[in-house]
Amino acid sequence: MSEMKRLPLEGIRVLDSSYIFSLPYTGALLADMGAEVIKVEGPGRTDPTRFGGLFGSFPENEVSGDWWDRCSTYNLLNRGKFSLTLDLTDAGARDLFREMVSISDVVMENYTPRVMRDWGLDYRSLRKVRPDIIMVSNTGYGHGEGPYSGYPAQATTLEATHGLCWITGYPGGPPSRAGSSYVDFLSTWTALFAIGAALRHRSRTGQGQWIDLAMYQIGAMAISEYILDYTVNGRLGQRMGNRHTFRAPQGCYRSAGEDEWVTLSVGSDEQWQSLCELMGQPGLIQDPRFDGALSRFQNHDELDSILNQWTERYDKYQLMETLQSAGIPSGPVLNNKDTHLDPHLRAREFLENVTFPEERGIGTRPFIGRPYKFSKSPLEIKGPAPALGQHNERVLMELLGVSEEKYLVLEQQAITGNAPVTGEPVFPAPIGRQIEEGRLGGWDPDYAEVLKDCLGGRGVDR
Amino acid sequence: MEGLLGGVRVLDLSQDIAGSFCARLLADYGAEVVKVEPPGGAALRRMGPFYKDDPHPEKSLLFFVLNLNKLGVTLNIESEGGRKILKELARDADVIVETYKPSYMSSLDLAYDQLEKLNPGLVLTSITPFGQYGPYSRYEGEEIVSYAMGAIMSISGTRDRAPLKHGGFQAQYEAGLNAAAATSMALFLQGMTGEGQHLDISTTECVGSTMIANQTLYSFTGATQTRRSPEGSAFGHPMPCADGWVIAQTGAGADWNHMARFFDRPQLLEPRFVEQARSAEYDQELDAVLLDAIKDRGKRDLFRTASEMRMLFGLVQTPEDLAHCPQLKARGFFREVDHPVMGKLMVPAVLFNSSQTPYQPGRPAPLLGQHNLATYRDRMGYTGADLVQLRQLDII
Repeated sequence: MSEMKRLPLEGIRVLDSSYIFSLPYTGALLADMGAEVIKVEGPGRTDPTRFGGLFGSFPENEVSGDWWDRCSTYNLLNRGKFSLTLDLTDAGARDLFREMVSISDVVMENYTPRVMRDWGLDYRSLRKVRPDIIMVSNTGYGHGEGPYSGYPAQATTLEATHGLCWITGYPGGPPSRAGSSYVDFLSTWTALFAIGAALRHRSRTGQGQWIDLAMYQIGAMAISEYILDYTVNGRLGQRMGNRHTFRAPQGCYRSAGEDEWVTLSVGSDEQWQSLCELMGQPGLIQDPRFDGALSRFQNHDELDSILNQWTERYDKYQLMETLQSAGIPSGPVLNNKDTHLDPHLRAREFLENVTFPEERGIGTRPFIGRPYKFSKSPLEIKGPAPALGQHNERVLMELLGVSEEKYLVLEQQAITGNAPVTGEPVFPAPIGRQIEEGRLGGWDPDYAEVLKDCLGGRGVDR
Repeated sequence: MEGLLGGVRVLDLSQDIAGSFCARLLADYGAEVVKVEPPGGAALRRMGPFYKDDPHPEKSLLFFVLNLNKLGVTLNIESEGGRKILKELARDADVIVETYKPSYMSSLDLAYDQLEKLNPGLVLTSITPFGQYGPYSRYEGEEIVSYAMGAIMSISGTRDRAPLKHGGFQAQYEAGLNAAAATSMALFLQGMTGEGQHLDISTTECVGSTMIANQTLYSFTGATQTRRSPEGSAFGHPMPCADGWVIAQTGAGADWNHMARFFDRPQLLEPRFVEQARSAEYDQELDAVLLDAIKDRGKRDLFRTASEMRMLFGLVQTPEDLAHCPQLKARGFFREVDHPVMGKLMVPAVLFNSSQTPYQPGRPAPLLGQHNLATYRDRMGYTGADLVQLRQLDII
């Protein structure tokens, strides 16, 4: 067995009726692990990540050809899957969906709670079709009788509601969002954990499971200690910017170049002394403003300006190397170009290349892989995301035994198909204008060369 | 009733938030988890917040919440005797969770290759800032460094100021979740093949994995992103209202007509606002209209009204709001746990609901060495005299 390099999910079939970021990403990670993942979309309700805008980018910022198959995030989040279109508002299509469930191990969906119930596709109904089915439902606030259960939600707005914005922000400033769609990803990984555990449980007991995820609840879990500090000590938590609760100094400092930054964090007097030596200011070691972590914490603002005056003279990578050589935690702030070049991320193959069929108009591009490595199950992206409806015939006719005649009827009635019935792409503004308006940081005229290097010299080759 | 991970045995050697959270999730869903601490106690026992601000080793609320449902033993794995005991424990374990530097376990002859010989079914889950190999694998990590190198900081905060990290210890929770996910998958495979493996989780890559739109923006268009402008970006970010902050977003069942009606500002239907997704030209004007529309309204009323109109809408909640939240109550998120030193506490307990194997009311985090007797004497057969000797040698 040991020589076979078996993947964890070989032979597992997943019906992925989920949209946007969270569960589709779970589906992609399941496919990386060897599962057969079939993404199901309505021809009139295709995944919003196909449409660009806030959801993603089109190759070379151009909307062309089968644009709905070309958007960046759609392709990252649906890699290695099969694509089936099926209009679940149609009763006959729902029968086909149930047939699919009867030959699947896992079903994932992220409709608001009433939808699957109204369609007779909730867990209670699907269990009748397949008693040991593992169903995963992901909603903003969770199923059940709670007052918010019917509310729509998305990670952006949930980040405020689940408590993260309150504790994120510059000291003394307003609550702030950090980054993008944060809680979506917490749900992605929670679903993955739950599915692994539920599959193991099923193999031991024969029992299926309904996994009911609430992104709001998962987000609240990640600030557990703040909730306890309130219930026990009555404390409300505060915004500390980049500071640590007890390490000092800690922060993000200017480095040489435009919008370039480095982080560092000092956790002991020894590290503080090393830092003073590195800055060429050994006199600071004796300075009463900074003698001991409590003093450094109190005089953090002064410390920050001293540090900025030192760091702004050096390259961010050089600073990392210097500080790390003295045992001080430090790292540069990487932007989305840097992550393609960073030697460590490259050595670990954090980004993986995916080659698309020529007609897809995407060529070969690097995509985020996954943050874990399995020593005996080498995981990788299995292949590009499918074109819309690419596997309609295979799934409906070969797997479900739908006759050719019936298949044609399904096509005619637009219950299945190969193009979105509704929806227009969001035509992106020219990159130059987006930079002028402050929506983008910049544009790298050499990006094709950088990618070529990433892609082992092959180039994008659209 | 057996939980989802019933029958799984875990040794939790982790010293940090990520590993402790990972092992707690395994315990929450039915695994038997033994927290293995140095005789002086895990580092987390020295981290706040503390119960009533008393920095007592049994009163760290952080240690408490991250070690619910576990048993606890002390063991000095740096001693020869301690390693011998750990190897005995490892023979019976399905999982070891550890967060030491990549070279540390092998310096103790506890590298995966050596553990695998003792127990081929063992899953070794290792969480580190940068992973087990690669040029930075030996570097010192910290929460803020993972945000920086995971790229999220480059787009967080405003562009007139330094990049900003998330509040709390999000990178640690992200790594804990990924580690639990990878472990559950490796356990599923182990159940079929009998074989374990070594899992290498990088906290920095966990953070970096959230950058799906950002990474592909570059690889698809060559554009780079930075932080938002301080002005003209209220929409989609916290906006002040009468008694707090709220956040609005387009999408879901509501269109721009709903927005105009909800904010009670008909001018929002003018094309320059409707087109806001495509151009930033009128962002500042839009901000002015929205901020004026909500300045005298309360956050809860705004939240309820908008949500009932099926708009994507949030309110900035404090830890107090969460502690009293009717939705979290209805979901059974909080559970009461009785701790021998701190007494009864309501804790954030349930990550997700599983229909056939409901969450079982849990046990508190272990006191230091609380299960030494049960483990070393009752399970492993050491005598009372052995334990006294091991204690005096500072092995347990």
